[in-house]
Amino acid sequence: MRKLETYHWIEKYLTGQLTGEELNNFELRLKTDPALAEQLQQYQDVTGTLQFYGQRKTLQQKLNTIHAQSFEPQPKKVITPFGNKEKRKIFWNQHYATIAVAASVAILTVFGTLISIDLWRSMGKQQAARYSALRREVEQIKNSQRAISKAITGSEANTTPKVEYDPGNFSGTGFAISADGYLVTSYHVVSGADSVFIQNSAGQQYKVKNIYRDQAHDLAILKIADESFSGFGTLPYGIKSNESDLGERVYTLGFPREDMVFGEGSLSSRTGFEGDTTSYQISIPVNPGNSGGPLLDNQGNLIGVISGKQLDLQGAAFAVKSAYLKQLVEQLSQDSLEAPIKLAKSNQLAGASRTRQLKKLQDYVFVIKVYNN
Amino acid sequence: MHKVLYFSDEALLAGIRNEEESALAYLYKHHYPMILHFVQNNNGTEDEAKDIYQEAVIVFYEKIRDQSLELNCQIKTYLYSICRRLWLKRLALKNRFAGMVTDSDSFIPVEEELAEIEEKEAKFKKMGEALVLLGEPCKTLIEDFYIQDLSMQSITEKFGYTNADNTKNQKYKCLMRLKKLFFSLYKAEISSS
Repeated sequence: MRKLETYHWIEKYLTGQLTGEELNNFELRLKTDPALAEQLQQYQDVTGTLQFYGQRKTLQQKLNTIHAQSFEPQPKKVITPFGNKEKRKIFWNQHYATIAVAASVAILTVFGTLISIDLWRSMGKQQAARYSALRREVEQIKNSQRAISKAITGSEANTTPKVEYDPGNFSGTGFAISADGYLVTSYHVVSGADSVFIQNSAGQQYKVKNIYRDQAHDLAILKIADESFSGFGTLPYGIKSNESDLGERVYTLGFPREDMVFGEGSLSSRTGFEGDTTSYQISIPVNPGNSGGPLLDNQGNLIGVISGKQLDLQGAAFAVKSAYLKQLVEQLSQDSLEAPIKLAKSNQLAGASRTRQLKKLQDYVFVIKVYNN
Repeated sequence: MHKVLYFSDEALLAGIRNEEESALAYLYKHHYPMILHFVQNNNGTEDEAKDIYQEAVIVFYEKIRDQSLELNCQIKTYLYSICRRLWLKRLALKNRFAGMVTDSDSFIPVEEELAEIEEKEAKFKKMGEALVLLGEPCKTLIEDFYIQDLSMQSITEKFGYTNADNTKNQKYKCLMRLKKLFFSLYKAEISSS
């Protein structure tokens, strides 16, 4: 019963019932006997917790009473026709933020989509308008040509034109790239054409057939298919493979109107419309009808093919780089032709004055007349 | 006792220290609406508001009674802060936590209090369980003696023991059993949390 006795002592000690010598003895024992100290501690813990438990329990009951007196509980479930009101309320409180965000996103998306569709459509139209292909309606010219031919036939001229002098529906410019009659022009000049004729400033006119069309680079290769053609001889210009430099002085020959027109300017940029790396931007004043014409550098090397004019930029025009022309010809020669195209190579123009260069060049630049039957 | 219509914070504190029922009732009634509003605005029901609020009032009350509270703000701010913290904890447990609560009042940091609150909560719970496991007649004997503070005499009579010493022995046995139960439950709770 040792433990029981100890426990009695502990109780007495804690309730202050020990005095004098008994007290001193007990305190001494506490200091020297760790087991006793532990027992004491545990006793205190348990009884302390018990009291704490009791007090808290009482307090809880008090609070519940106060609550019941002052705050009548709402009827817990208000059953409306739509179901449990309390639950609905919680649900709404929980989710209204999310619902609000979802609704806003939905509305924004709908309007955003409608607006952007509208924008996109108008953009497309704009683009087409901005980068206009250089083609020329010749309705007025048709009329004037008819008038002239009437005058000519009426006066019995010596040289009778071989074919009816019909200028066709569209025209652009093209030029020779090989001695045996291959020419290059812009894709958009001859796309959709049923028949194509060419004529240079000396009045030589030939029928050509379409060999190949490269829409991506806006190039078309033609070949003269006419019995009266007997070859160009060695062409006086070569086709450059490398890129030309910014600021290079460049010039073109073309047919924006019935007579050949010379234009010159500079290489304004080594990229074309909206950063197109396959074209140059040039500052030559060009007009509808120049499309497909040659772009030459100061030495008379062919460096590009005139392609399009950006209407809203003053003085900006574009030309497809000659490197792509060469690439196209090489591929063609490998893939589809019986005999490869022998491109013009030798340069007989370097060092010559501009007027001399033009005299040599002009026979190889043609107006392209396109007929849609 | 005449009815006091208004208690200032100091008056409330004094009243609680003196165990005045009116002070406690006033405290309780005066601050509940604010907490009810807060809990309902943050995905809670009335019942939950009541639970949280009573927990906070108990914490406050006990701290005043054993003089361990250093109140540096208004009573309503303190109560709001405790309730807010307890509610955050509850929301996290319910996984309904969106990350932020809408506050309707200013609050103070109460992280330290939270640890203490949780410890006391654990002790209370485990003691309750231990008493239930103790069974009769021990439970009533222990409660009568240590909680109700009944005299040895009245307990002896109540239980029909022959004398006080007998009662003492019974009490000792019951207390030892309770001690074992409580410590094992409490340690299990501590180690699992």
